[in-house]
Amino acid sequence: MTGKSGFLTVMVIGCLLLQQPAVGEVRDVAVLNVSISVFDPGVPDDRSLHRDLQIFPRIREVEAKFLPFVLRETLVGSGEWGAVRVVTEADSAAEVEISGSIIHSDGERLEIRVRAVDATGREWFDQAFASRLVQGEDDGVADAGSGQAGLYAEIAQSLQVARDRLDDRALGRIIETSLIRYAIELAPSAFGEYLTEDENGMFSIERLPARNDPMLDRIERIRLTEYVITDNVDAKFRELHEEIASTYALWREYRLKSIEYDGQNARRAEETRSEAPRGSYEAIKNLYDNYKWGRVTAQEQDRLAIAFNNEVGPVVDEMESRIADLEGWVDAKYAEWHRLLEELFEVEAELNRGAATDS
Amino acid sequence: MLRTLSIIFLSLLIVACTPARPVIDEQMMRIDGDMPADFSGSWERDYSRGDDVNQVLRDIYYYLSRTSADRAYTTRPGPVQPSSRDMASITALARLAELITRPQVLTISQNDQEITVDRKDDFSLLCAFYDGVAKGTESDYGTEICGWDSDQLVSHLILPEGLQVTHRFTVSEDRQQLRVVTTVSSSTARVPFTLQRFYKKFERLPPDFNCIETLSMKRVCSTGEIEL
Repeated sequence: MTGKSGFLTVMVIGCLLLQQPAVGEVRDVAVLNVSISVFDPGVPDDRSLHRDLQIFPRIREVEAKFLPFVLRETLVGSGEWGAVRVVTEADSAAEVEISGSIIHSDGERLEIRVRAVDATGREWFDQAFASRLVQGEDDGVADAGSGQAGLYAEIAQSLQVARDRLDDRALGRIIETSLIRYAIELAPSAFGEYLTEDENGMFSIERLPARNDPMLDRIERIRLTEYVITDNVDAKFRELHEEIASTYALWREYRLKSIEYDGQNARRAEETRSEAPRGSYEAIKNLYDNYKWGRVTAQEQDRLAIAFNNEVGPVVDEMESRIADLEGWVDAKYAEWHRLLEELFEVEAELNRGAATDS
Repeated sequence: MLRTLSIIFLSLLIVACTPARPVIDEQMMRIDGDMPADFSGSWERDYSRGDDVNQVLRDIYYYLSRTSADRAYTTRPGPVQPSSRDMASITALARLAELITRPQVLTISQNDQEITVDRKDDFSLLCAFYDGVAKGTESDYGTEICGWDSDQLVSHLILPEGLQVTHRFTVSEDRQQLRVVTTVSSSTARVPFTLQRFYKKFERLPPDFNCIETLSMKRVCSTGEIEL
């Protein structure tokens, strides 16, 4: 273990001690926990398309980490949900899992495809959300939502509508299924038979473990422990958001300007559509200039993308490294927990069999 | 005699430049392995060499006067003055070629995938290869393609109304001299206009500061490592 990861482990354990969560608290079934995974940046594999599509891969990667956090803040702000966490990978055992991919992002228009699914496998929605920023309507450079608040509010509203369609029984099932799915991931021998999955990916609970099942109690404790780590990861996304929000807003402002310049270039080309005789110097220079200004605008955007990367790159790299440390710790522990639980289950099953024989 | 020779040379040049085949074909847009030549560096114009625009114009004028279609309608021997329309078209191409080739310095950066030619007061020429295949740049205003003709880098810009601009870059073996042949042609002109420019390599002084561009602080410089 390196000094850095050792420090992190100590820090995480410290957090665990300080934030020891309660197990078995009675909760409102409507207040579901939500996991939002980092978005798919929507960058085509074919690099030759990036320029044509005006996609800057590194910036899209940053957006894929940055935008989920903005959505998280909107959901938290609505007060309708339990813990809302940004996670680096899909969390299939989440009570509600949100995934998304960026379809378009150019400063003026943001379009994201968002899918929400609950732990029972029920799809809440899978649809594209888009918003267009009109010049002068931005909330300002320091705007955390980057002027796209309406889009996130719309997603939050869709989530709420989907949830409100479910009765308390169905919501309770989601919470139970989520826990059992998590339990199966950790101790399949102990919990594998509690749940079935049909051909449509829908999960049904066959039976529930006893309330005082010690194995389930352990699973709940481990899950709460993992939540503490996830919250630490989540905190890194918050830091990233805080550190780059103003730069990102600037980037979008510049992108918006570029789009404005494109518009000006188009108007200029239209206005200067030469009245000069075809083939004359004025006419051919106009044709050349039209192309030239279009390229100059595109190249200016490339330059700005590099400037954005120069500024934001070190912050993102640092964040990725810290998250990798935390997740590495979780992965290692997860494997250990998995092994220990499986062994414990074997021991307990053996004891139970022995007790049954004795009686 | 000298005039005749120059006409022969010009005729050959025009025939060679007349696009009987595409300026860049598919074969030229593929590279297998490394780039065939290295153009990277800073290049300054060598005014002691290269074409004089007026001389090239005079040669074309002479060529047109010998080959003018109007000759068919005259019994008078000797050259016939080219039509004013022909001369206006050629002069327009010459002015554009002169404008395009005006930059005194070219800064060329090159890696395994891309060559960028930065020119003052003009857009940068870009030649990008993805998996060995050149990818053109297309916009509402024109299309730019590039490729390799042996060890010559060819950049070809196709604009509306038949206007085309081609640059051919050749570097000397010792990589100290660069020749750029720029041809401007148009569907309204009978012949293309070609200008040769030469450049000498020069080394830029190492900067006193390390600088990077940022969005919020613009250009940030430091004598040591830059920390934002």
